[in-house]
Amino acid sequence: MSDDPIAILIAKCASADRSAFRTLYRDSSAKLMGVLFRILKERAEAEDALQEVYTRVWLRAGRYDPIKGRGMTWLIAIARNLAIDRLRARPDAANDSALDTVADPAPGVESRLIAKGEARRMVDCFATLDPERAEAVKSAYLNGLSYQDLAARHAVPLNTMRTWLRRSLLKLKECLEK
Amino acid sequence: MTGTPLSPKEIDDSLAGEYVLGVLIGAERAEAENRAKRDPGFAALISAWEFRLGGLNAGYREMTAPNLFPAIEARLFPSAARAQSWHGRRNRLTSWFSGAVVAAALVAVVVAFVIPLRIQHVATLASETSTVGYEVGQFGQHLRVTRIVGAPADPGLVHELWLIPPGGSPVSLGLLESASLIINQPAPAVGWTLAVSVEPAGGSTTGQPTGPVILTAEVGADT
Repeated sequence: MSDDPIAILIAKCASADRSAFRTLYRDSSAKLMGVLFRILKERAEAEDALQEVYTRVWLRAGRYDPIKGRGMTWLIAIARNLAIDRLRARPDAANDSALDTVADPAPGVESRLIAKGEARRMVDCFATLDPERAEAVKSAYLNGLSYQDLAARHAVPLNTMRTWLRRSLLKLKECLEK
Repeated sequence: MTGTPLSPKEIDDSLAGEYVLGVLIGAERAEAENRAKRDPGFAALISAWEFRLGGLNAGYREMTAPNLFPAIEARLFPSAARAQSWHGRRNRLTSWFSGAVVAAALVAVVVAFVIPLRIQHVATLASETSTVGYEVGQFGQHLRVTRIVGAPADPGLVHELWLIPPGGSPVSLGLLESASLIINQPAPAVGWTLAVSVEPAGGSTTGQPTGPVILTAEVGADT
């Protein structure tokens, strides 16, 4: 945990250290804001969600286990989960029109992925997947797309998309655990 | 990528992956969320996927966030602001009294260290109109919720415990079934609300209370 300052701060939050909580906000809020905005696509809602995320972080800090992974990954999991819940709860969720209007900032993603050592393996494993399926997994993760969105975007039936994704996830897992 | 059907284990594992990816909608997403609450094995699969897919997080750009920390603190620690103004009004009290308060506080701190496992009262969830009541206590970094009167929810239903920050949305703390519920959770601040709602078996599927709220208590209101 010593090489993971975020993990140390989360552990301190679990023992009710409020100054650690302040530092955690300072050091992680820009990343979490990026996550929330990317998925929710509305600044005001992302800001509101950010408050909710840190409330949950404080309340759940005791459940974070540094053995399982990095602190920032845990924080992002909380932010993504909340953002996706909010997205799916929107009245227009069934026919998501935001899909066509917001393009992926795609080209930069790959190169930034490669920059990070931890993510290097991820890139290698994604390279073992069919490119179209790899793209579906990545855009679902980063943008919070649903199966319905993905099927429309890739012009395949929903069940086909589901088979693609399930197989791709299992293949990815196998590769990452080699 | 063969056509071999997935094994039940693979189906569970890929379902957890789909949940983390976020591609499920409506009832399917809610079902997966519910199952994670009941089934620690499935919850562990979800947690593993969260860390496994974390390699993609480099694709998220940082974005300047406004300083929302004061608002977050106000949500989480409303008592701090209150305690400060109280102190302001009392600061002209004689010094012997302040000394006595400090001494008492020291005794309290010592007691807290010496008997760390003593359960301290947090709130009682009971009302004249409800046939069931719960007591919430704290020890160390844990809360313990025990039913003090009545019976668990009827078959097919469950009591779900919620924690609500002032002005915030409820966060589920867990399901109240026959045994006491122990939660890894520091005691909530004074002014927070604990509530119990009646939910379908497995708990709320939306992350918010969906059934009738049968009990509420504000932390610090009955002490």
